[in-house]
Amino acid sequence: MRYILTSLLFSGLLCFPLANAWASSDAPLADIDFDRSSESIKRGAYAAKNTCMICHNLKYIKYLNLLEIDFTQSEVDTFRGKAAFDSPIKSSTSPEVAQKLFGMVPPDLSLMAKARRGGARYIYTLLTSYQVNNEGVVENHLFPGIKMPDPLTYAYRTDEARQKELKQTIQDVAVFLEWAADPRAGERRHLGMYVIGYLIVLTFLFYLLKRKIWSRLD
Amino acid sequence: MSKLMSWVDARFPLSKFIKEDLTDYPTPRNLSYWWNFGFLAGFVLVLQIISGIFLAMHYKADASLAFDSVEHIMREVNYGWLIRYVHSTGASAFFAVIFIHMARTLYYGSYRAPRELMWWTGQGLLLLLMATAFMGYLLPWGQMSYWGAQVITNLFRATPFIGDEVVVWLRGGFSIGDATLTRFFALHYLFPFLIVAVVLIHLVALHSVKSSNPSGINLAEKDNIPFHPYFTAKDFYGLGVFLIIFCYFVFFMPQFFIEADNNIPANPLKTPTHIVPEWYFLPFYAILRSIPDLLGGVIAMGLSVMIFAAMPFLDRSSIPGGARYRPFYRVLFYVFVIDVIVLGYVGAKPPTGVLVVVGQVSTFIYFGLFALLPFLSIKEDKWLRKRGLPAEVDVLIKSESEEIEKKAKKNT
Ligand code: HEC
Repeated sequence: MRYILTSLLFSGLLCFPLANAWASSDAPLADIDFDRSSESIKRGAYAAKNTCMICHNLKYIKYLNLLEIDFTQSEVDTFRGKAAFDSPIKSSTSPEVAQKLFGMVPPDLSLMAKARRGGARYIYTLLTSYQVNNEGVVENHLFPGIKMPDPLTYAYRTDEARQKELKQTIQDVAVFLEWAADPRAGERRHLGMYVIGYLIVLTFLFYLLKRKIWSRLD
Repeated sequence: MSKLMSWVDARFPLSKFIKEDLTDYPTPRNLSYWWNFGFLAGFVLVLQIISGIFLAMHYKADASLAFDSVEHIMREVNYGWLIRYVHSTGASAFFAVIFIHMARTLYYGSYRAPRELMWWTGQGLLLLLMATAFMGYLLPWGQMSYWGAQVITNLFRATPFIGDEVVVWLRGGFSIGDATLTRFFALHYLFPFLIVAVVLIHLVALHSVKSSNPSGINLAEKDNIPFHPYFTAKDFYGLGVFLIIFCYFVFFMPQFFIEADNNIPANPLKTPTHIVPEWYFLPFYAILRSIPDLLGGVIAMGLSVMIFAAMPFLDRSSIPGGARYRPFYRVLFYVFVIDVIVLGYVGAKPPTGVLVVVGQVSTFIYFGLFALLPFLSIKEDKWLRKRGLPAEVDVLIKSESEEIEKKAKKNT
């Protein structure tokens, strides 16, 4: 009975956040294994800069942050062009122009991978959901009525080889944006391994100590 | 050293305090691991205060800067991400620990005489904790922060006659804005110290009535052991287990307790499609929504939190040991736990279709269980007395009371 209580209580407590997470799992997201290698992230940075940053800001990432994803100093210099080394990555379209073009200012992308359920998978699915419908109009079936025009012209890549190539680019962009949303994630997991390892040893020692002390009572 | 001690002792009961309340403090030897959670709650409180103070050094309580300052902490402050994730995960850990602590008290009947004041100070702590968490949630100034605060402060509109004025007064404006943020920040910084004060009262009460124990029977001296080293060792072992789970979330799933929408800066013009409170408010939120009328819902929600305080009156049984020796009460307890979980689930979902009914039924069961308790506990008491208590309880009660009497005789 005690174990039933225990497991009920703990699983119950875990239920709430999970229920929260399930609460609006609307459209299913693509089920893909991301390649999170630094080459992929780096390729993603270039692709994002050349396409997404035409319209979107990446305001929490500065050019100098690119050094953290294995850019060399000279690569950053080429990448940033005339922009300052420590300036945030900004869109090349001004908000006023964007407002006129799209009726809205495109959202900043630096937290996008955290701001949508599914994170990188959401971004990947969004960009691979553009299709030409029967009337010859491009539409997005993950986000019907989206104001973002198919940025990589995915809808028109019908030939299989080129579509595969484009999917690779999209996955690169997705993992780059995932990094941008949480640049300390690598450091965090790395430190976490040590912390948890240390705690397991420490807790085991506490357990032995507790047993030893309590054995005096027998 | 001993000279210094005696100097202090002549002026302040330091040695006496250490001896009576820490090292030699008599503690029932049969306490299970469920009794670790009070200590854990104290630990999390300290953790929240320390991490919170460090966050406050970098945070900017200004509607136009708050969101950016949190990202600044996450990205540029040394180990800022760690401090922030400890604090955000700590809030959830605090509630998890407190809910288990409360469940233990309910299960083992620790709220019963002579521990009513412990239970009521605990109730006060729960309210303070909820208020602190609610105000803290506004500070990152994300979409969910903003709209959660908007929805909850809006509930005060139900106040008779002066509802609208109360809402404006709470928010410092017609809607949530900079004025709300700054006052919530000020209070969010203040409340933890009020919690510390109430915790001290809670502990003074504890050290006067002593810990309850799984048998529910006051144990004689021979069955009490000094707090140190036995329970210090046990508490530290429990703390280790807790920290492993806690750190797993901090380092590997820190976004688990953070709504995706809260990574979008607050936008007063754009309501999120689905506003959900933090998980620890979900059961109460579900009760609020189950009542179609606003005032009724608010009253039901308030009552659902406050009704715990009535437990010492509602439980009329004289059988010791909480649910352990009381089969009816035990059933009630488990039904309650399941009911709260169902309510939590309903609270997380949009209120449509069958879930509305499930929510209403669960709300009815929630209050029904409390309403049933007085009758049931009297019935159960009679039934158990007629049947005779389980042999082990009888033996325990006898031997312990004999022991306590013997001691009393010796003293006179
Ligand atoms: C031509 C301008 C333009 C380009 C180029 C562009 N976007 Fe967008 N994007 C927009 C606009 C406009 C919106 C707002 C859409 C809406 O809310 O209807 C948007 C929205 C988004 C969203 C949010 C969708 C949501 O769930 O609200 C994501 C994610 C996104 N873009 C990713 C990208 C990525 C990745 C790229 C680069 C491959 C990119 N965008 C390139 C204009 C653009």
